Amino acid sequence: MKRRSLEAIASVAYKEFLHIYRDRRVLLLVLTLPPLFTLLFGHAFETGELTGIPSLLIDQDRTPRAQEFIDTIWKNKTFHWRRGSPDIRNVADLLGQGVQAALVIPKGWNESLENGDPKPLLLYLDNSDINTASAVEGSVRESLGDFQLKQRDRMIEELPEEVFELGKQLPVQIRKRFVSMMEMWGVDRNLLYNPKSRVIDYVVPGIIGLILQLLTVTLMACTIARERESGTLYQLMVTSLRRREIVIGKMLPYLAVSALLVLVIMLVSRLHFGVAFYEPFALALICLLFLLCSLGLGLLISAFSRTQTQAIQFSVFFLLPVFVLSGAFAPLEQLPQAVRYVSEIFPLTHFCRAFRFVNMYHAGPRFYADDLVVLMVGAVITFLGAAFLLKRIEQ
Amino acid sequence: MSEPVIRLNHLSKSFGDVHAVQDLSLTIEPGTIFGFLGPNGAGKTTTMRMLCGLTHPTGGTATIDGADVWKDRQQVRTRFGYVPQRFSLYRDLTVLENFRFFGGAYGVPRARLEARIDQLLGLIDLREKRNTAAQSLSGGMRQLLAIGCALVHDPALLFFDEPTAGLDPVHRQQIWNLLYDLSHQGKTIFVTTHYMDEAEHCMEVGFIENGRLLAKSSPRELKSSFRSRLLEIDVEPLMPALVRLRSLPELLGVSLRSGSLRLYTAEPEQLLAKWRERWPFQDLRLLGERWVEPDMEDVFTAYSQGYDGILKRGPS
Repeated sequence: MKRRSLEAIASVAYKEFLHIYRDRRVLLLVLTLPPLFTLLFGHAFETGELTGIPSLLIDQDRTPRAQEFIDTIWKNKTFHWRRGSPDIRNVADLLGQGVQAALVIPKGWNESLENGDPKPLLLYLDNSDINTASAVEGSVRESLGDFQLKQRDRMIEELPEEVFELGKQLPVQIRKRFVSMMEMWGVDRNLLYNPKSRVIDYVVPGIIGLILQLLTVTLMACTIARERESGTLYQLMVTSLRRREIVIGKMLPYLAVSALLVLVIMLVSRLHFGVAFYEPFALALICLLFLLCSLGLGLLISAFSRTQTQAIQFSVFFLLPVFVLSGAFAPLEQLPQAVRYVSEIFPLTHFCRAFRFVNMYHAGPRFYADDLVVLMVGAVITFLGAAFLLKRIEQ
Repeated sequence: MSEPVIRLNHLSKSFGDVHAVQDLSLTIEPGTIFGFLGPNGAGKTTTMRMLCGLTHPTGGTATIDGADVWKDRQQVRTRFGYVPQRFSLYRDLTVLENFRFFGGAYGVPRARLEARIDQLLGLIDLREKRNTAAQSLSGGMRQLLAIGCALVHDPALLFFDEPTAGLDPVHRQQIWNLLYDLSHQGKTIFVTTHYMDEAEHCMEVGFIENGRLLAKSSPRELKSSFRSRLLEIDVEPLMPALVRLRSLPELLGVSLRSGSLRLYTAEPEQLLAKWRERWPFQDLRLLGERWVEPDMEDVFTAYSQGYDGILKRGPS
């Protein structure tokens, strides 16, 4: 009986493999797109910084100090500067100027610094994308801080001897405190888990997960729906195949193809982006559970849909929130708490988290055991659900 | 007499308010070619799908070899082969691959499978097409392939749902010859059709309409259940004659056959005598008349229209 069941599964798996093999166009797509997407996404997320933001610089002060500041901020790679006329009237019309930011050094800036009442610089920001706006602002502040520091150092160097003599008359404690206050207070940073600040290392599980999720769900979703559409499902149902034999047999070839794709994507990441992979056994387990979960979801959609068109539509509707909310490319912590609960439903969320725990944190199983459990439960539920829906077809 | 292969006991199936099959009771003996006749939508396919365990009865029971077709469907499935109305094999797979898949799906042992496939390829005459994709076969060949795949596990019972629908006469004949061969091998065949001429090929015929069984008997008995001979007349012009005659109260019905009109009436001799005396239609010309043997179409028309006057209502 056991042997008979294995043979039955093998017949279904072989047949399903032939379907994949015969559909040359889809096969070509399945084999070439994942490595191409890996290259594309990998380069897209290679650096996380903003660079070359078109910006306008307007110097109404026209003093050597203003020019010196301009020389400093000109070197800041965040911006791609263009000099604007000092007489410009509508600075706020960023769109008309074709820039995303405008920085104005106001008239009398140098004088105000000399007079002990520093005038602020004026910064106009395109705040349609708040992330860009705040990054730009931070960059301006950073350049200004650097500039101020240089100015202070020069001032100290040029202080007349009398000032130091005067200082020596102060009590030691006050002098020390004064020096501390004049120093820049620093931070000694220790970058852990990703010391080289490689965005690609963070993004790789997202790429693997996203591509596999897309392929497995859509391809799998079409399998049963296709049989239903062509009428072969009934032919299948009158054979002595059991539902679990059909479900397992249909899944196996897709599992093999997806596993191959995981290897291809990892290979491309390793060779092209120099991403290192640790603990192959743990990673393999995480990938396997994730694949089973995704294939189960595809099967569930498949058993639920009447036609292949419906199956694709359901897949897209399911995948859309997954892409945005799964934390594949950006940390989940950006999302509000309520939405994060929704994210926890998606297999991709758990896959990315577990993958990062292994590959970036080199953490032990106790850190990602709960993610594995969720994936496992997901796989079981979806497979049972698919088998149950198949049962309903009979009635 | 041996135990019936199929036994239907007040079998019914409703989809909501639609009663597709109502209170169907019949038995089919082993080795019979049973023809299930009726117009489209009469409930033929639904009955067959219930027998195949693809849909559950909403009333009554049906058994195959004594096993319930729904409750024991997993066990019953190995006992029959099913050829559905629509071509339902894998189009992208070759003839051989389809055979091998269904062989595996029915659990035919590997050791026996190849020999069995070769034998079936010979039977359906597709040896030379063994490596052709199913989608490249002609309609008739596809149907032969579907029959072959349903035979792969050598079942004693076969269900054919309109096996000749849409086929040319040559392939229709080829398929019926195949059914005879199978019957000759001792297999029981349950076949639905809406071609009345094909009913003549069957050993037993069941008429179904609106989900109800109207009659079940051999074609010969059914035809002899006509009380009277059938009158056929040639009239000109034909179409106005058909319309005029249909409204005649003495006639139960009129049907058009190869340019002649077949008249259903309880007393054809009287009618003819009356017409010989005086032909009532000024604008129609009676060219001739003859007596004909009723065929299955006449019988079915009489049963389905309830022409009780011309049927011997005996015990059925």
